[in-house]
This record gives sequence, C-alpha cells and structure tokens, in this order.
Amino acid sequence: MPEAATAVKTVELKILRYRPASDERPAFGSFKVPYTEDMSVLEALQTIKDTLDGTLSFRWSCRMAVCGSCGMMINGKPQLACNTLLRNLPPGPVTIEPLNNFPIERDLVVSVGDFVKKIESIYPYIIPKEPKTVAEGPYLQTPAQLAAYESFSDCINCMLCYAACPQFGENPNFIGPGAMALLQRYNGDSRDGGQQKRLDTIHGEDGVWSCTAVGYCSEVCPKQVDPANAVNQNKTNSAFDFFLRFLRPGGAR
Amino acid sequence: MSERRPYRRPMSPTWWANPPYRAYTLRELTGVAVAIYGLVLFFGLVCLALGPGAYDGYLAFLRSPFSIVLHLLLLAAMVYHVVTWFETLPKTQPKLIVDGKPFPAKKMTDIAIKVGAGCSLVLLLIAIWVGR
Repeated sequence: MPEAATAVKTVELKILRYRPASDERPAFGSFKVPYTEDMSVLEALQTIKDTLDGTLSFRWSCRMAVCGSCGMMINGKPQLACNTLLRNLPPGPVTIEPLNNFPIERDLVVSVGDFVKKIESIYPYIIPKEPKTVAEGPYLQTPAQLAAYESFSDCINCMLCYAACPQFGENPNFIGPGAMALLQRYNGDSRDGGQQKRLDTIHGEDGVWSCTAVGYCSEVCPKQVDPANAVNQNKTNSAFDFFLRFLRPGGAR
Repeated sequence: MSERRPYRRPMSPTWWANPPYRAYTLRELTGVAVAIYGLVLFFGLVCLALGPGAYDGYLAFLRSPFSIVLHLLLLAAMVYHVVTWFETLPKTQPKLIVDGKPFPAKKMTDIAIKVGAGCSLVLLLIAIWVGR
C-alpha cells in the first residue's frame, strides 16, 4: 500500500496543560504533529492549535524573536518558541512547559502583571539632566556614550531571564534581571539624570541584593543583553550609596 | 465570570544540585575550600605562637599523606574558584568602553586569569627563593 511510503515523519510534544476552570493542577498532555526540517516549536504549537486541539493556549506575535511573547520552557530551558527549531533539539519527545517561577494562568500562558509593575517602578524613561526646549536643539551623544548602555536597550521583555533565576523563584518580589537591565539602560545613558531616583528603588533584598550572581539569566537571554551585568554593577552602586549617603545633601534621613 | 485561578508551581527543593545550576553551586562551595585553607594557615600561626614543639607538630601534620591529599584537593578547588571568579568579574563592573566599543567580557576574563597566574608564579618563586 502507498500509505507506508507516504508516511510523514512526526514529532511528539509533551505540553504542560492547565485549564483553571476544570483542572485542579497542571498535567502533561501529548500531541503528535507532522515534522518538517524548518519547523520552529511555535509552528508546532500552532499546528496543534489549528488541527488537533483548539483550546491549547499560548502567547505569540512576531515569529522572529522581537516581540518577546512566546517564551516558554523547552526541554527544561527557557527559550523563545519562535527562535527554537525542532531540528536543533535532541531526538525524542519535546517537553514544553510555561516559564518557570511565574504563576500559570492557562496552559503556556503565565501572569506578567508583577513584571510590568517592576518595570514601571524603575522610572523607565529618560529624566533629562538639564531640561532643554526644542529650540535649544537635540541632546547629543557620542558613539562611545551610546555603547555604554546600548546592549541593555535591546531587551524585549520576554522574561526568560526571570525563568532562569532561582533567586526570583525563591523571592517573587526580587526586582530581577529584566527590570534591572532596563534600569541600567537609563542609568547608563549620558543624557539621563535620574540615577539617584532609580537607585532608591533597588536597595535591599527585593532590590539587587537577592542576586547571588548565578549568571544563568545572561546565558538564556535571546538578545545578549547581559542582565546579570546590569544587576551586579548596581550592587556596587547600591553599596556605595549606602555608605556615602551621609555625605550627600539631604541623603541621610 | 472570570475563571482565573493562577497556579504557582513549587520550585524543586534540589534545584541547586542539578544542571544548569550545578556549576554555580560548585563555585559557591569552593568558597568553603578557601575557608578551610585559611583555617589550616591560621592553625599554623597558632602553633607558631605556642612554641617550637607545637610548630614541629604542625610541620609533621603538613608532611602527612592526609595533608598532602587535602592540599591537592584544596588546590583544585582554589583553581576552580579563581577561574569562575574571573569569569564573574566582567559581570560585576560597569561596561568598559575602549575605542568607542564595549570591551569583550571573555578578553577581560582571559587577561585577569593570566595576571592571576603570573602573580601566583612570582609568589611561588619568591617562596622557593626565601625557603632555600
């Protein structure tokens, strides 16, 4: 029979499912989809949603590692589903779970509210050193001044670094790598004058001091932002601020 | 009506013992080896203060097979500690901009390891020269 000859290669995906209305706790469900050489994990999930189970929930948008929506645990490692090709994974079933360390809303969708609040808390905008009117012209910057913060501005808020961070897992109030990368993006900007304001938000255990320099956050970052660097250089800043605050006008309270 | 019932998965109590965190745990544990080595030296200092008899006992301990194996293990742990220390170094300081470009972290680690190895060698040579 020709059926055997045309048999398509398939790949098995073991997906952690959670439907809050009916499931007490998450449990794995297994799906088999036709495999192609150029297939990403995201495409495999879309195939499942289109052809096998329309209730499967996951976030995605751009399909090209820019939007940061499709972060998930793929074979136990935080990765972007769009950026992970099935052919680069070891043979056998692919395990897919929602991002570690975040509450699961449904299937592969996690709560992002706390993360957004953290981002808002660090004044994520330029606070000009000296305000200028439009007539006074633009704020100029040399390439070297740009290089001092540029990599931190590449963050796409995909939260893989939070899923990689065991200290965030232990203490969900820890500000974490992603928000610190954004903080450093502004603190390292030559046009910015809001360093002290931001520094005041990152002291203590919920600030930078939960970090123990595990470094895995920077390893999993799909944009080479190096959030571990953002956190750890600010430990120095936080420590200096603690000891030198008495010398600052109005610093000691 | 909202069906929201966010589920928080517990962390594995043994996360630190498994990859990818095992190397980190090992790195932190080598700090204990550094402390043990410090204790060995401190013990020697105490014996020196106690008098020649105690100090000879300390030297005899250093020559014992147990001490030699211990020191080899401590040396291995120290080397690992030094290498991982310098691998962490670029993460702990502000971005270094050289000629308008960020200085590569790997290069920084390489230079630091070479300087560290060089200093150790000089120290060793001085120790050999003094101990002649």
